[in-house]
Amino acid sequence: MLMISPRMSSGMQEKQFTACLLNFFVYNPTFGPREGEEEKKILFYHPSDVEKNEKIRNVGLCEAIVQFTRTFCPTKPAKSLHTQKNRQFFFEPEENFWMVMVVRNPMIEKPNKDGKPPTIEYQEEEILDTVYGAVVKQCYSMYKLFNGTFSRAMDAGGVELLTQKLEKFFYRYLQTLHLQSCDLLDVFGGISFFPLDKMTYLKIQSFVNRVEENLSLIKYTAFLYNDQLIWSGLEQDDMRILYKYLTTSLFPRHSEPELAGRDSPLRPEVAGNLLHYGRFLTGPPNLKDPEAKFRFPKIFVSAEDGHEELHLIVYKAMSAAACFMVNASVDMTREFCEQLDGLVGPQLTLLASDICEQFTVNRRISGPEKEPQFKFIYFNHMNLAEKSTIHMRKTASVCLTSVHPDLMKILGDINCDFARVDEDEEIIVKAMTDYWVVGKKSDQRELYVILNQKNANLIEVNEEVKRLCATQFNNIFFLD
Amino acid sequence: MDEERQRPSVPWENGTLAPAHHLCTERADSPTPGLVEGTEPGAGQKNAMFVHAQSFEDLTAEAEEARKEAEVFGSRECAEDVGVLVEEKRVEQLNIPPDCRSKEEDVSSEAWRSHKKHMFVLSEAGKPIYTRYGTEEALSSTMGVMMALVSFVEAENNIIRSIHADGCKVVFLTKSPLVLVGVSRACRSDKELLRELQYVYYQIVSLLTLTQLNHIFQHKQNYDLRRLLAGSEYLTDNLLHRLDHDPGLLLSAVTCLPLASSSRGVISSSLQAAKSKNLVFSILLAGDRLVTLVRKKDQFLHHIDLHLVFNLVGSSSSFREGEGWTPICLPKFNTAGFFHAHISYLEPASELCLILVSTDREDFFNMSDCKQKFLDRLSKRSAYQALKEALKSRSYSVAQIGIPELRHFMYKSKSSGLYTSPEFPLVYQSDEEQGRLMALYQDLHSYVHHPTRPLRSFYRCGETENMMAWVTSGFELYLCFSPLGTKALAISAVNKLLKWIRKEEDRLFILSHLTY
Repeated sequence: MLMISPRMSSGMQEKQFTACLLNFFVYNPTFGPREGEEEKKILFYHPSDVEKNEKIRNVGLCEAIVQFTRTFCPTKPAKSLHTQKNRQFFFEPEENFWMVMVVRNPMIEKPNKDGKPPTIEYQEEEILDTVYGAVVKQCYSMYKLFNGTFSRAMDAGGVELLTQKLEKFFYRYLQTLHLQSCDLLDVFGGISFFPLDKMTYLKIQSFVNRVEENLSLIKYTAFLYNDQLIWSGLEQDDMRILYKYLTTSLFPRHSEPELAGRDSPLRPEVAGNLLHYGRFLTGPPNLKDPEAKFRFPKIFVSAEDGHEELHLIVYKAMSAAACFMVNASVDMTREFCEQLDGLVGPQLTLLASDICEQFTVNRRISGPEKEPQFKFIYFNHMNLAEKSTIHMRKTASVCLTSVHPDLMKILGDINCDFARVDEDEEIIVKAMTDYWVVGKKSDQRELYVILNQKNANLIEVNEEVKRLCATQFNNIFFLD
Repeated sequence: MDEERQRPSVPWENGTLAPAHHLCTERADSPTPGLVEGTEPGAGQKNAMFVHAQSFEDLTAEAEEARKEAEVFGSRECAEDVGVLVEEKRVEQLNIPPDCRSKEEDVSSEAWRSHKKHMFVLSEAGKPIYTRYGTEEALSSTMGVMMALVSFVEAENNIIRSIHADGCKVVFLTKSPLVLVGVSRACRSDKELLRELQYVYYQIVSLLTLTQLNHIFQHKQNYDLRRLLAGSEYLTDNLLHRLDHDPGLLLSAVTCLPLASSSRGVISSSLQAAKSKNLVFSILLAGDRLVTLVRKKDQFLHHIDLHLVFNLVGSSSSFREGEGWTPICLPKFNTAGFFHAHISYLEPASELCLILVSTDREDFFNMSDCKQKFLDRLSKRSAYQALKEALKSRSYSVAQIGIPELRHFMYKSKSSGLYTSPEFPLVYQSDEEQGRLMALYQDLHSYVHHPTRPLRSFYRCGETENMMAWVTSGFELYLCFSPLGTKALAISAVNKLLKWIRKEEDRLFILSHLTY
């Protein structure tokens, strides 16, 4: 991405380039062990139009780095390579299968006089290893969610099938990576939970039970409202990546018709069915058209004996979304979809308006929202719960934050520090811009607060954070 | 010969070596964060004694001009110098922990791998020059791989910086014609390890000069530099030990022997009086602490050069046997030429060591005379007795300041490049605990001096101690509190400590700097 810097140097513009994806590849060193067969190691390479020898060279460097690092730590593999121009991130998700992502450092292009080529200055300290290391892992998890493991493809159809699957998946997935807006939240990969009173929560649970009872094909259910999770029957790690897919890919893609169609008669499926607002986000776009073909995406989740393949049905009514998962061996018929639509549609519509009402009541009680003096990110490693007042609503393309990127990086630095030692810690720093940043780690929980009180001192900042903990987190943090 | 005599004079005209002119406004009565640089406690009254060092980043700034200059000179006479040098460097080792030179290690063993910090130096041809642990021979293939990685990345018009694995990092530094590689299990930031590699690089340059180094490898690319450095590895070993334990190398600063300013004044002026035509620096050391330094007008010593001198003196026992005369290159002053240092102890069993740095290699007897003149003058004064008394107490204890829960601190005056720090308290007596505390300080240091996200202050509450750092335009302060210390206490401690330092600054710092 190119941004023109506001700084002007003697009438000539400096160009600022943000971090961007240079290469992304998957290789297995055991596939082409002999000289001259190196190309066979490469299972996927982005961009694909890179010359063969360059691909082989880049993969060779990764192999060498991994091998060299074993000299010093045989048990812990290399995770990243820093160079002046870029950073490479290595991840071995399955034995001998390596995923590598190469990210170019942000840079500034300064024009030179006298027709000389511009000077390029690489900003080598801008990329956080933990953030992009997490992004590579996320890439694998997302692949696995829709395709199962690499070795599954190998067993089913050998290298040929695996390369096909990789090609098909990553060709599109990589376009959705927005590297310049990745931050601490990618490290956590958490789930935002919707705060709810007990009564409404019970209503949702009984809804889930009722549906699962009536439609016995349904194996797992997850319930979300307003892009936040309320109920899930899946394992935590599976829900984590499914949540990521729903909130960053599926929901944003369908948000436009939703907004346009709430009260408008233009939507055919609503116009034909005045009883409810429910519709399928996956599967049949229009139940009234008997000719329309449809299929549900298949996903892979962990099961006792390895992995389980499921159909993913996502059904939404207003802001409430229910995900139903059915064993992949079952044929999904139009009859089943109609049955589901008839049962779930009206109930979900009702539930959605219930939750909405409850939500606004709660809001009114807690008073009008003031712009607080602080912003925070909270993450709980135990239940993956995450809460951020720093991030605006995520859209498909960008994740907007309301604070300066440098402050976000300081949060990242503090998070790295916390990850190094397994003990409770608290860090309070004052940045050059006079913002205060506080990081607290207690047990499995982490809290990061940014305070905009330039004239406060350490004691006042401490008091402010204490107040925040008392009101928002029921005094989870004790360390003083 | 004429050419050689002139050599050191070249960089004197080089404007970059002079300190930045800072405002010498009135000294504040009480220390406040808004201190103007140059008025903080410990700031010198006139000019800085050292080349003005902003901070450790200073280290990474490449002195390109110096290198270009160095290349202008022919290096014919250097080979001669090196001959002398190597001969004189065959001195016994001292102060080196026994495990430091356990060369005969199995380099494929877990024990070798689990050393906290490895350092390797190799030539651009991939020939081993130095390893901290194990033998160079056993590691030649590993170093070959290192060089291969460096040149592979270089071939893409790129520069390799570092490799990271969980709990281990490898940092590369290319300083043609040398390549330095550090492997650390503890370091938080690459920059800290890079700083240490820089020191090792300068250590080697100080033995050979960069001109000589370039000359050798231009003529024979796969030259085995160990032939020239044989017998001097202990200097690098010792430097690495210092890097883990001496706050001065971390802070880019030097500490002084606490001494009443009247006594220090007398000693300084005695040293000032013992001058000679080619004398550039006279340095009086008490162990690792500076007693005084007198310099030629307009000449400044960089703290790195001074640390290299400290390391040279502290590593060799041979200087105790009489008057030493050794060529030394002060790389931050001039990478092209040698100075000649007269090194001797004032009294046989004393910690007091006098270093007289001359530009003339035939100057031994002049320097010897200077030393005698200084000693004659000094021994008549009562200040000499005061100095010897000051040596008896190792340093001062933090308890003296009377701040509860404060265990240790480091205070650096930025404009003078001097720091003060109390002795390690009981909890940090063992070598291991001291190393751990230094590592905590390193963390603090790399946080506040982050190259793109520097901080004003940093406070960390942990289970074993609470650490705090505060940086202003005038000073850097690093503190270690017991885990019981509160934030309120930390704030009041900082104020109290700064007042105490201001009160004691006459004793803790060298405030007036003399020139011949």
